Amino acid sequence: PSRRTEILNMHLEPQRNVVYLVAMCRAVPVNDLLDRASQRSDKMHSLSTLLTQEMDSHFPPYGRMQMPRPADCHTSALQTPNDKEQALQVSESDLMSLARSLLQAWVDPLAVLSTSAITLPHPSKSSISSKIQELQEHSKSLGDGLDILSGKMGPSAQAISFLPYTGGTDLGQDRVTILNKFNFLLSCLRRDSHKIDSFLKVLRCRAAKLQPELC
Amino acid sequence: MKKVGEVVLLWLLILFIQNAAGEGYSPPGKPTNISCRSPEKETFTCWWKPGSDGGLPTTYALYYRKEGSQRVFECPDYKTAGKNSCFFSKNVTFVWVNYNITVVATNSRGRAFSDPVDIDVVYIVKPNPPEEVVVNVTEDKDWPFLQVSWKPPKMADTRSGWITLFYEVRLKLENKNKWEEVSAGQRKTLQIYSLRSGGTYEVQVRCKPDHGFWSEWSPSSRVKVPEYFPQERSMWILIVVFAAFILVIFIWMVYMNFHSVKRYLLPPVPGPKIKGIDKQLLKSGKSEDIFSSLVVSDFPPTTSNYEDFLVQYLEVYVPEERELIMDEGKDLQDDSFKTENSTCDNDSGRGSCDSHTLLTDKGGGDKEDGQQSDQEGSQAEADTKSQEEALEEELLACSHENLQSSNISNEKEKVKSWPSLFSPLPQYSLSPVNRPNPPKTGQQHCLSDSLFTPNSMPSYFTQPGPSTRKGFRSNYWECSFDHKQSHPLHPQSAAHEHLQAQNDLNTAHVDYMGAPLDVHVLNVRPSEYVEVQRVSVEDGVLLHPISPSQEDSRTLSHQTEDYSRVRMVNNDNGLLLLQRDAIEEEKSMCPYQEDVVSRASITPTLQNSVTGINTALPILDEMAASGYIDTATMFGLPTH
Repeated sequence: PSRRTEILNMHLEPQRNVVYLVAMCRAVPVNDLLDRASQRSDKMHSLSTLLTQEMDSHFPPYGRMQMPRPADCHTSALQTPNDKEQALQVSESDLMSLARSLLQAWVDPLAVLSTSAITLPHPSKSSISSKIQELQEHSKSLGDGLDILSGKMGPSAQAISFLPYTGGTDLGQDRVTILNKFNFLLSCLRRDSHKIDSFLKVLRCRAAKLQPELC
Repeated sequence: MKKVGEVVLLWLLILFIQNAAGEGYSPPGKPTNISCRSPEKETFTCWWKPGSDGGLPTTYALYYRKEGSQRVFECPDYKTAGKNSCFFSKNVTFVWVNYNITVVATNSRGRAFSDPVDIDVVYIVKPNPPEEVVVNVTEDKDWPFLQVSWKPPKMADTRSGWITLFYEVRLKLENKNKWEEVSAGQRKTLQIYSLRSGGTYEVQVRCKPDHGFWSEWSPSSRVKVPEYFPQERSMWILIVVFAAFILVIFIWMVYMNFHSVKRYLLPPVPGPKIKGIDKQLLKSGKSEDIFSSLVVSDFPPTTSNYEDFLVQYLEVYVPEERELIMDEGKDLQDDSFKTENSTCDNDSGRGSCDSHTLLTDKGGGDKEDGQQSDQEGSQAEADTKSQEEALEEELLACSHENLQSSNISNEKEKVKSWPSLFSPLPQYSLSPVNRPNPPKTGQQHCLSDSLFTPNSMPSYFTQPGPSTRKGFRSNYWECSFDHKQSHPLHPQSAAHEHLQAQNDLNTAHVDYMGAPLDVHVLNVRPSEYVEVQRVSVEDGVLLHPISPSQEDSRTLSHQTEDYSRVRMVNNDNGLLLLQRDAIEEEKSMCPYQEDVVSRASITPTLQNSVTGINTALPILDEMAASGYIDTATMFGLPTH
């Protein structure tokens, strides 16, 4: 139905979606929405994986020996499940809240990455820059869609943990510092995007009562 | 000696001890190639490649550190995964946590540390192959297909969504080497079509997590496809249908073009076409009757038939530019015959129409008939044309015989020009007649003595240089024109016409001229005559109008202004026409010799005075319709 497709289009404004919600009297196929959302998050994580691989192809390995400690990611404060049992015990609302919080936490860092990629001292900076821009677009649309979805799931789903990015707009002065910071941020992004994707896919299978073949 | 031996033994002993001490006693080599894999994102296993052991028993230990903590742990399980491996159970496995893993090799001489490796379990997922692969051939006998189904590996929890798996199937014929891979997405079943009848297939399945590595291929499942359709038969059916289609088309084409095909394959045989032989008589088979018509009554042929038998060729001069060849000219005439004359016998095939002699015969007959009807005043377009064409034919025929003494090419050219004069075909015009290359060859009427009218016959051959009127006449072409003819006529054709009408007009016509004749065009009022006085090598021709009575060449004087005398034809195809007075004056002279003289005198001047003459003939064309040439109005050139 066209209305469902409209909702699935993450670019819609909330007011318009509300109008659609009011217009519809039947149950919203949440699993369909979650399916779309998980596809979007899957794309985001693929992009971030490509980015890290592209960075590593030319990045001097010595800079990576000091492992960019992921514990230093600005999102490490957020408590997320560490194994499958823990993850399956999290409620749907909490999973949605976690996903949305993580997504929201990367809006600013993505902007910093985007501006830094243009002047990045790296041979593949144009490709990196385009991928980051694509990431930003996916992030925006996914955020809009999750906003709609969370609206259907209750107030606890709509709670977002505030995870500010404090790294500043400047990645550094010298080439090594800049590249290290860039790499560090990308590794944090890769993990967080994987978390978002995993949470949404768990949510999708939880809601797929009507389509068990997907899970 | 003993000392030396002892020393040697000591040395050997020392060496031996040293060797025994150094051999195998070294620290172990560094373990390398640490790789870890997790089949279900809940446990993982690491393997390493040991270095040299240094000759001593070497032990390996794996230590790991989790991110954010400095605490070092050792591998909990070295056995489950086999030699040189470490298995991390669920209890010690955490996702979204970086592990820093190091392998240490230890022997009595020392220890060696491998390079540390950082892993995150979620990035190293490689599931086990799918299980319970079932391949079935459907029961549909006509078009069977394979139904492949499988299950995800046991350990992978896809139901909760913890792992999302994508599947891929590949199959090949048993004796071939090329696999065909088909993606199945997240589904667990697949249908495969387009199977080879009677073939045996091997099917394998593998899977991959959304962000991870492909699993190994499952063990092959074999299946045999029954024979459902012999392939050779389908090919033959296709060939037969296609051939039948082609055959139908071919038959239809033949049917549509039946007659032309029949004509092509079985060309009609020309039947006998001899004048005097009755075809019906021939069919009836009475030989006496058939030949009787040939034999007696018409032999020796009378005057009326002379031209039928003896007039064969007439030389015609045409300019070299004429593109037609003699044969083409004939063909054109043939075409004109065919298109306008229905006199071709259709039972004899093409031969009767194409035969050269037949053409002249028919032309003569037609002309005679046409002449009669013309005189009666009826104008039939076909008759006109037939007469014209007959004229052309006869002229052509005549020119053939007299080729030997003339320039062949020019003759041919002349021959070519004839159709242009008579046929109504638009592409022919008079202008070619008057091209810069005037015909050089002489036009010779090949009428034999017997053809001449009784009146004119004696005069022709006895007096080549007559000063009498008869002598005059012998040198003249007498052109008689059918009053229907509206375009300018070639003097020779005019003469031809005259020949046809000689019965009525009683005018002398033919002169066997050794000298080449010039071709020129003359516009004459119908039923009036112009006499060609002479044809000269220098392309001078004199046209002398004659009165119908032909008894008095001087009667021109009471002829009206209708007549002009063509004084000369220039090399540039100019035509100089004399006024009447001049003509009369010339007539007074001995025609033949005078003409020679005048021609000799005129010829050089003619070549000079070209300007107006070149346009003479085209103008003549225009004037043709009126049938008159008025020298005074034609050009402003002074006449000679």
